[in-house]
Amino acid sequence: RRTPPFSLLVVAGSGGHTTEILRLLSCLSESYSPRHYVLADSDKMSEAKIRSFEQKRAETFSESQFSLDRIPRSREVRQSWVSSVLTTLYSILYSLPLTYKRKPDLILCNGPGTCVPVCLSAFLLGLLRIKRTIIVYVESICRVETLSLSGKILYYFSDYFIVQWPDLKKKYPKSVYLGRIV
Amino acid sequence: FRFKDSLAEDLQGADLVISHAGAGSCLETLEKGKPLIVVINDKLMNNHQLELAKQLHRDGCVLYCNCSTLVETLQSMDLSALKPFPPGQPEKFASFLDKVFGLQ
Repeated sequence: RRTPPFSLLVVAGSGGHTTEILRLLSCLSESYSPRHYVLADSDKMSEAKIRSFEQKRAETFSESQFSLDRIPRSREVRQSWVSSVLTTLYSILYSLPLTYKRKPDLILCNGPGTCVPVCLSAFLLGLLRIKRTIIVYVESICRVETLSLSGKILYYFSDYFIVQWPDLKKKYPKSVYLGRIV
Repeated sequence: FRFKDSLAEDLQGADLVISHAGAGSCLETLEKGKPLIVVINDKLMNNHQLELAKQLHRDGCVLYCNCSTLVETLQSMDLSALKPFPPGQPEKFASFLDKVFGLQ
């Protein structure tokens, strides 16, 4: 059985996704350390938010550790299905060595396209018996009635799939409903 | 306004907020306890962004209209009927993870 500390890989999407995911992290104890953040290469604002979050955290927990890595963006908004598959495969070329290097105990993500290659990499490493990572997906609070595309895919690959509205729990019975958590 | 980092100060000083249905705008406003009227763009009817605005309206936390009914909404609104928006609870998520990892 695993013992703490548990290393955590956090996929930070742009804008609201990053704000939401930092809120999810806000109540975690120091048992979840170090935190490895993965960002899309074109994302400017998330890095500042993350550094600010970690700085505040370091004021309470002096042993706090984190890292930041970037991978190519796997999909632009409204990109076509076919080209999305290709760009996702391209992103896996980056996310696979990164996930292999970090070998996290836990991956946390909440919906940006960036999380699909990262989670698939971790899933693959699990199949190959290299590292068994627990994949936790939290669908964004914006999703009340339908899942995002990342959600629809990762519903089948995640260990725990968390939704924040009861309608989604009804539609996706294998999901976990904890109420609003951000 | 386009390039301001944050509207937090402006929100704090406002008595009423009129906004599009973007989740960030809605949530930031509601968390500050400000009354909110969400204006829907009819041309984007299938946008998933509407899901949150519709739910907030069902819960009685926001008023809801489109561009052509905005004036009418402003004239007949009863802001005291708006219900408060309870904050999310990230501690429930932390507790859930602790159980998953056997820390509880």
